[in-house]
Amino acid sequence: MHMSDALLSVAVGTTMNVVSTGTIGYSVSRIKKYEPEENKIPMMGVMGAFIFAAQMINFTIPVTGSSGHIGGGILLAALLGPFPAVITLASVLLIQCLFFADGGLLALGCNIFNMAIIPCLIAYPILYKRILRSKLTPKRITIATILSVIVGLQLGAFGVVLETLVSGVTELPFGAFVVLMQPIHLAIGIVEGVVSAAVLCFIYRTRKDILENALGVQNTPKLHMKRVYVGILIVAIFLGGFVSWFASSKPDGLEWAIQKVTNEEELTIDSEVHNELQQIQNATALLPDYSVKSVKPIRENVSTGLSGVIGGCITLFAVTAFGTIIMLIKKRK
Amino acid sequence: MSEIKKSINRISNLEELTYRDTVIHRLPPVIKLLMTVIFLVTVISFGSEQVSGLFPFLLYPVLLMTVAEIPMRPLLTRLLIALPFTLFAGLSNMFFSKEAAMMLGGIIITKGMLVFVSILIKTILSVMSVLILVSTTSMNDLLYAMLYLHIPTIIVLQIMMTFRYLSVLAGEISVMYHAYILRAPREKGIKLIDMGPFLGQLIIRSFDRADRIYHAMKCRGFEGGVIFSEHKKVRTTHWLGLMIVSVVLLILRFVNLSELIGQLVIG
Repeated sequence: MHMSDALLSVAVGTTMNVVSTGTIGYSVSRIKKYEPEENKIPMMGVMGAFIFAAQMINFTIPVTGSSGHIGGGILLAALLGPFPAVITLASVLLIQCLFFADGGLLALGCNIFNMAIIPCLIAYPILYKRILRSKLTPKRITIATILSVIVGLQLGAFGVVLETLVSGVTELPFGAFVVLMQPIHLAIGIVEGVVSAAVLCFIYRTRKDILENALGVQNTPKLHMKRVYVGILIVAIFLGGFVSWFASSKPDGLEWAIQKVTNEEELTIDSEVHNELQQIQNATALLPDYSVKSVKPIRENVSTGLSGVIGGCITLFAVTAFGTIIMLIKKRK
Repeated sequence: MSEIKKSINRISNLEELTYRDTVIHRLPPVIKLLMTVIFLVTVISFGSEQVSGLFPFLLYPVLLMTVAEIPMRPLLTRLLIALPFTLFAGLSNMFFSKEAAMMLGGIIITKGMLVFVSILIKTILSVMSVLILVSTTSMNDLLYAMLYLHIPTIIVLQIMMTFRYLSVLAGEISVMYHAYILRAPREKGIKLIDMGPFLGQLIIRSFDRADRIYHAMKCRGFEGGVIFSEHKKVRTTHWLGLMIVSVVLLILRFVNLSELIGQLVIG
């Protein structure tokens, strides 16, 4: 579910980074305010490492024969409370991005939102906490955990779909993308939910105080969750509107140099060749192949396309040569 | 479990690379971090069908890797790990977007193909730039850069501790896994039914460990802050260098160098 930079537009990346940074900032202030003891810090650090380690082990899924691993949003929130969990997961995601190339640096905002903020600050308070508010029993823990993990993962996966589509880098249709993402994550969610529930039930039997503590500490001020949601919404709307307008209008103005050379011609060609292209669209072949002679107008475009390809090859060659030369010089020294 | 050890080795391999002493390694971490972000933004800002304009940006990883003497192999293997998802998303474009974009030697290049190649190059560039940052800057230096950029101490400490205890907990889970597999020789992994007690044990151990760590930290005078010595000072020349790099990146963003070279050759 980790999003990478290549599938993201700058506008979406920036917006989500600001939203996630804001939420993390709010989480930090909450921790400072309501949990002034610094002993939470080593706890969060070690639990971050725990999530990392736990993700490394695979468990076998009965019947299917396949294996899976846990994500850990709800598990962490249940053990540490939602706000420390957000920060812990954010740091895990950062390390994954830096050292494992799992998710991009610009996409970190999206990933933190989908995999930390959604489960910890949306699914956790709405489902987990509500179900367990009155009574803490293994049965309730199981139901609450499974439900909130599934909902968290579904929302997260939907977040991935929305962020990718709004970015507009891929041409995947909305429907197809949703059909691809949601069922897979439903299956993952059920398994992860069951595992997280089993873990939490074990903790309930052996160290009940940990669960009670995490639930109890966060119980005190209630209203603040609404503030988080409203805050996220306002920032998202403002930035979504403002940044995307800025980002979509600006490059158009500045890209005139490239557009002038290529796009103008391309547009006219598109309309003229439209009929013939439709035939290609209908065909299922990946590499539609037909001769240049039959389509005259495309020829003009060939030169610009060709210059790009030739120039690209030369650039590639130059870059490689450049690297080799530096390496040779360095070796001589 | 070899998989766990592999993951830990991956991190320590990258960390070892940061001990070298080259011009890039000596740069202040803040400058390197900002440079990476600026590079990422310029690369990502390219439209989805732009391909040739991205080629000159390959100079960035090539230049940095050669100057910083970073071996190709460890970075390329990590790049391979990152590729599958973007490859999948990129490939699907070839099926959904079959409008012709241009002709090359009698073959029609569809928009989907352009998008695919563009995504591929962007992935290579973005992953490589981040890996170059991590293999030339130690985690402590990166955390120092974060403090420099006024990121709250709690977050910096949190990342620092997670990073420090990664190998400790991975070691612990590796031992537990080994013990389990020795008693369940035909299993591919841990049975779903045993996951509760298995992870639960580890959580309780981790909680107790965190408690001990906290006491140890407290004994050494920990009061919720971090003390770093500023060993790589940011000078005006560094900022100037960053500005020059940014300007070059911006020029490359808006002037398609590949296209220009190609036109010169074709005439």
